[in-house]
Amino acid sequence: MKAFYTSVKMEAKLFMRGFFGPFFAFIFPLMMLVLFGSIYGNEPSAFFGGHGAMDVSIPAYAAMVIGVCGLMSLPLSISEYRDRKIYKRFDATPVGKERVLWAQLFVNIVASIVGIMLLFLFGAILYKVKLAGNMAAVFLAVILSMAAIFSLGFFLASVARDAKVTNILCYSLYFIMLFTSGATIPKALFSDSIVRFSKVLPLTYVVELLQGTVAGEAVSGYWLSIVVLSGVSIVLGAVSFAIYKRKRWEG
Amino acid sequence: MENVIAVKGLKVCYGDFIAVEDLSFEVRTGEIFVIIGPNGSGKSSAVESIEGLRKCAAGDIRVLGLSPYEQRNEMYRHIGVQLQEVQYPDKMKVKELCALFASFYEAPADWQSLLQQLGLRRKGSSYVSKLSGGEKQRLSILLALLPGPEVLILDELTTGLDPEARRMLWNHLKEVRASGVSILLVSHYMEEVAYLADRLLFMRGGKAIFTGSVDQLHEYAQVELRGQYQDGMSLEDIYLLLVAECVY
Repeated sequence: MKAFYTSVKMEAKLFMRGFFGPFFAFIFPLMMLVLFGSIYGNEPSAFFGGHGAMDVSIPAYAAMVIGVCGLMSLPLSISEYRDRKIYKRFDATPVGKERVLWAQLFVNIVASIVGIMLLFLFGAILYKVKLAGNMAAVFLAVILSMAAIFSLGFFLASVARDAKVTNILCYSLYFIMLFTSGATIPKALFSDSIVRFSKVLPLTYVVELLQGTVAGEAVSGYWLSIVVLSGVSIVLGAVSFAIYKRKRWEG
Repeated sequence: MENVIAVKGLKVCYGDFIAVEDLSFEVRTGEIFVIIGPNGSGKSSAVESIEGLRKCAAGDIRVLGLSPYEQRNEMYRHIGVQLQEVQYPDKMKVKELCALFASFYEAPADWQSLLQQLGLRRKGSSYVSKLSGGEKQRLSILLALLPGPEVLILDELTTGLDPEARRMLWNHLKEVRASGVSILLVSHYMEEVAYLADRLLFMRGGKAIFTGSVDQLHEYAQVELRGQYQDGMSLEDIYLLLVAECVY
């Protein structure tokens, strides 16, 4: 337990010392919130189905936070550790690399949750955003979303032959999803072709599920999102784990 | 004298390529045992198998009576290693890295005292990426010493270091050996081998061609190299001739 606690502390420090993680998980979503909040406010609007712009945007920005941690921070740090043989060095200790891998995962999960909580906190203070949905349903939606996106990130890190390839895959997929899933630009503004394209992206279902549960809509209306995200979590999680066991990442 | 490492009939393969074949040797308690040989001779593959980081195709390895691959976690409570070409996260500080590795052991050595002994006390707050090559290697030794090991395995510890840094590390290794630690070292520097080795293993083409002391290697070379051997030859001269025997 001491080894895990020290590893988590260390990984948290490394996360905070980097620019990318803290900026895109904590600061950038708040900048988006303030920028678009100052433009659109949060008055109920027919355009947003009777909700305020920020009521709808905050769950979408929460999806962006999950994307940053699961699809950028986690896989990129995994690839770096593997390429630089850092995991191999941890394997030459009594605890092995698994302890450090779990610590990396834990830190990114906590970072996602903190980023999402900051969004709701600032949303409530600045624009009186209220959580209309059931807290437990929102929490479960966040957990399922993280499981799917983190599995995708782990999968990309597993199949990429080195950190450079992981970078290309993660950056490409993240930014494509960022702008075509509804995480930054409301889906109501998309053309039909982009809407069709967005249906193949897991982050689209994260945005839908989070927006639905936060708005307090019936979960039964989001069964497709739940099925897709569960499928992505199980299939990509299992495939990545199998690849990880086979390659052993010994460098 | 008991053996701390025993290797019998080791075979390591990468697909169809056989990197190490029928390798057998022992490392005795309290000695510095050095593995030498040209690049691609199988030194690192053999050492990684001993470290439990690579599965061997055949043979048996025991480190302190433990199987490195099956009992790796237990083995690492008693041995320390320095791996070739390992880096650490750029934003990690020396003292943080020491504290992290210390947390992996039940009763680790006092890393602050080791920092002092290895001349790194003032570097505790520096990022690992800012250390010089010699300092990084001393840090590697420090991490390897954290378990209070009975056996130390060092793979090309002094590669790329200037003579002063190399000499400093050699003297430190002698102190470590004097404290009762057995050392298995992989080296390319014959001066290092002559200075440190109690016994050595010469590998060529994945096989052992000689095991014994430096003096015994001279005797072996006299016979093996026939007319080419001359009195007063350095270890490096002998090494080069023995390697060339294989090439030509």
